[in-house]
Amino acid sequence: MSRRIRKIKIDHNGEFELDLAPLLAVMVKLVPVLLVSSAFVQMMVIESELPQVVNEAIQRQEQQPTPTNISIELETSGINIVVTDKGQDKVETIPMKNGAYDYETLHAKLVAVKKAHPDIFKLELHPDGKVPYDEVVKVMDAARQARDTNVKFPVFDTKQGKNVETNYMFPEIVFANMMEG
Amino acid sequence: MSRRRRYELPTKKNSTFTLNITSMTDMFTIMLVFLLQTYSTAEVQITPDSSLRLPSSASMVNATESVKISLSREALKIDQTKIADVKNADFLPQDLEDKDSNFIKPLFQELDRLAKSESEKDKAFIKEGRILLQADKELPYATLRKVMYTASMAGFPQLKLVTLVGE
Repeated sequence: MSRRIRKIKIDHNGEFELDLAPLLAVMVKLVPVLLVSSAFVQMMVIESELPQVVNEAIQRQEQQPTPTNISIELETSGINIVVTDKGQDKVETIPMKNGAYDYETLHAKLVAVKKAHPDIFKLELHPDGKVPYDEVVKVMDAARQARDTNVKFPVFDTKQGKNVETNYMFPEIVFANMMEG
Repeated sequence: MSRRRRYELPTKKNSTFTLNITSMTDMFTIMLVFLLQTYSTAEVQITPDSSLRLPSSASMVNATESVKISLSREALKIDQTKIADVKNADFLPQDLEDKDSNFIKPLFQELDRLAKSESEKDKAFIKEGRILLQADKELPYATLRKVMYTASMAGFPQLKLVTLVGE
């Protein structure tokens, strides 16, 4: 008696249906979870969350007996950058351009000031009472960080004993006239 | 005479049918990608007031737990509770201290109550005096300064300005 081996037929062109029901069940649960925790309007805050090296540099600056002081006077007629070094005031005025503040020039001038004073991280802001809040935020934006990623400023890292580079300019902005009557 | 029987469709009693859910899965996949993109990892959820237009900034720092103050062109609120009215981009004279025009009396009282409240005073953000300020972008700095001044007088000097992302 010979045993016959049955040949299994494999249909290579056959179609099969993928069972998507478990995948759908996962998605139905995931979608409400994500809907609840979604931020459709992204909101951030302006504050200083700085690298350790920059934080240390700010502390060193605060310990100086007669620090160089940089301040911005935000007037309704324009912006003044006042650099007080060794008791001497140096004022640079940025006039209005087409009825609006010239943030590009302000940023460029602040980059130049930062290059001249790489140890200074604190900036005093004196906005006029009539200046809209939006303009104050834009000035803070222009002063906090260099927009060009190629522009770097040296900061001395005490742990490594050498200069490291950062793109932070004046991350610590203080409203200097807040307590004035 | 025999009556002709009506033809009946052959029905299977225990039959199952398969629902085509491919298109539904496609839709869910698109939704999932979109929602994952907008997923917020911030520890604090800020709900902007409808009467408030926040300024935009390049800052990418997430908010931390703080006392939430919102200053619109109509009202000053802590969380959702109205503290004082705002008219013509300024506070009403009765809400301000007579001798010090920067001092907002109801705001100071509310912040002082928070700082002294038994249930709230042990929270880290109350101890450190952290404030999240949402203010309308068209308000003048003088109005904002009154809020900042009063808040620092009440022992809340750490100010964080809430801004929108991008231009």
